[in-house]
Amino acid sequence: MTGLGTFLRFEVRRLLRNVRYIGITVGFPVVFYILFLNNEHPGTRIAGTTWKTYFMVSMASFGAMVASLNAGGTRLAAERASGWTRQLRVTPLPSWSYVATKIAASMLIVLPVIVVVELTGLLLGGVRLGLGTWAVLTVVLWVSALAFASLGVLVGYVASSETVYPLVTALMFLLSFFGGLFTPVPDLPLALRHVAAFLPSYHYASLGWAVVAGRAPGLGDAAVLLGYAMVLGLAVTWRHRVEESRAFA
Amino acid sequence: MLNRRLRRAEDSRVMRLGGGPPRPAEAEGPALRFSGVVHRYRSILALDHLDLEVARGETLALLGPNGAGKSTAISILLGIQRPQEGEVSVLGTDPRSALASGKVGAMLQVGGARGLPHGVRVGDLVAMTSSLYRHPAPVARTLARSGLTALAERQTQRLSGGQAQRVRFALAIAGDPELVFLDEPTVAMDVEGRRRFWAMMRDFSREGRTVVFATHHLDEVDAVADRIVVMRKGAVVANGAASTIKAAVPTRRVRFTSAGVDPARLRDLDGVNAACVRGSQVVLDSLDADATIRALVATGVAFTDIEVTGADLEQAFVALTSDLAEAHTVADAVASSDPAVAPQSGRTP
Repeated sequence: MTGLGTFLRFEVRRLLRNVRYIGITVGFPVVFYILFLNNEHPGTRIAGTTWKTYFMVSMASFGAMVASLNAGGTRLAAERASGWTRQLRVTPLPSWSYVATKIAASMLIVLPVIVVVELTGLLLGGVRLGLGTWAVLTVVLWVSALAFASLGVLVGYVASSETVYPLVTALMFLLSFFGGLFTPVPDLPLALRHVAAFLPSYHYASLGWAVVAGRAPGLGDAAVLLGYAMVLGLAVTWRHRVEESRAFA
Repeated sequence: MLNRRLRRAEDSRVMRLGGGPPRPAEAEGPALRFSGVVHRYRSILALDHLDLEVARGETLALLGPNGAGKSTAISILLGIQRPQEGEVSVLGTDPRSALASGKVGAMLQVGGARGLPHGVRVGDLVAMTSSLYRHPAPVARTLARSGLTALAERQTQRLSGGQAQRVRFALAIAGDPELVFLDEPTVAMDVEGRRRFWAMMRDFSREGRTVVFATHHLDEVDAVADRIVVMRKGAVVANGAASTIKAAVPTRRVRFTSAGVDPARLRDLDGVNAACVRGSQVVLDSLDADATIRALVATGVAFTDIEVTGADLEQAFVALTSDLAEAHTVADAVASSDPAVAPQSGRTP
């Protein structure tokens, strides 16, 4: 287990130093929040809360998703293509720890993204919540981001360095639009409302929407996300095994 | 050969006096051993009862055409693949344990890529890699050994191809390993870069470490390796010092000057397996120089300045690995002509 902590620090520092990555993951949700805040009157009631609060949760979810997909997917695919993952395989680092570190680094990056969007809501959107609600919201969104962290790593294993950008972009748009992160699900056409029920993005944001409306997070939502995290985790393990047993070119 | 061994032993003694980790010369058994290893990918036989042993402190060159089984052998030695038949030991244990113990370092082929992560300084990358090992060399020493001291602050994506390769060498030796595998380590380097690289590697191997490398640059092998193993179709076809291998190959090079000679007719001469005509200069590779010259005289073609030379390593390599070669005969010849080296041809028990 020598150096596992050093390796995690190394990964996180590389993520933080990547200006483009930080710009996309933090900049997008913040800018979208400011841009679309006035699409409705910020005080409009929706799902037991106000639009400004509801949409803050939507954008925090969007940010968490984008951060995970890029931290895992884009970078992992690039590192597979460059041969860096193979170099790591011939060090004493246990092979599972590369994947585990990618997921851990992704989780560590997601937290500040969520907090920055919340701060934008507080300072620019005029969102007012009790201290306890802020805390529960942050923890719920953070913990359940594990499903996206696994999705990111799986994308990084499945895609090549050429296909990963279009794939991540497509996932980002599909999950956020059809998951109701930009247009609330009840406002979507009927057919799409049924699609939302299958998407992790919808269930993820639903947990947060419940918290800010003063309700308990839905068990059904949590169960779906857990299911996603488990299935994706298994798929990652399988891809990792396949990759590991592959001979050198 | 013997002198070199003695020098090596002395070097390792000096190192021990200087402290540091125990040198491999103290340990028992060979650095690595393959016995009867078979490995196939579906219908392709990658390793065909491979037997090979490398002594501690030895520098071994692994040669062979693409598909000879070199990379499969290395991936088995690194524990990435398990052999389907036979046994492999590395530093007295199984490959995975040897790797996990941190006593093995490797520089793999990365194709056209760099093999390095982006967004990190060279010094930090080497430091992080060192931290993965139980008894790493000091980072400053690893950087100095790889000629990277001046590049420690450079971002990995700003390195030239040759510099990136030196960084990968640094990563391979960061853990202060007893045994290092280098798969085509100089592939993207220019002549000067290659010269520098082998100088670095010799300094490193002189400390009593075992180095196994695969390369296509045969000129480098001659200067660097203690011993050469030539593989073909998953087995060892020649095993010995460069001079032994060259001497054992019957190929001779016949050169002469002749005007207006027909290359097609030259190829039909007795013993000739390759012919090259450049202006009036003719070069023939022959397995029987005497017969070739007799046949040449019989054709009545006028020639001057005839010269017959022995095989260089490249010709020896071609002769040993071409489909026409009677591989096992040659291997036996090599093995029997160098008693200093244990004979290990393909299927001899």
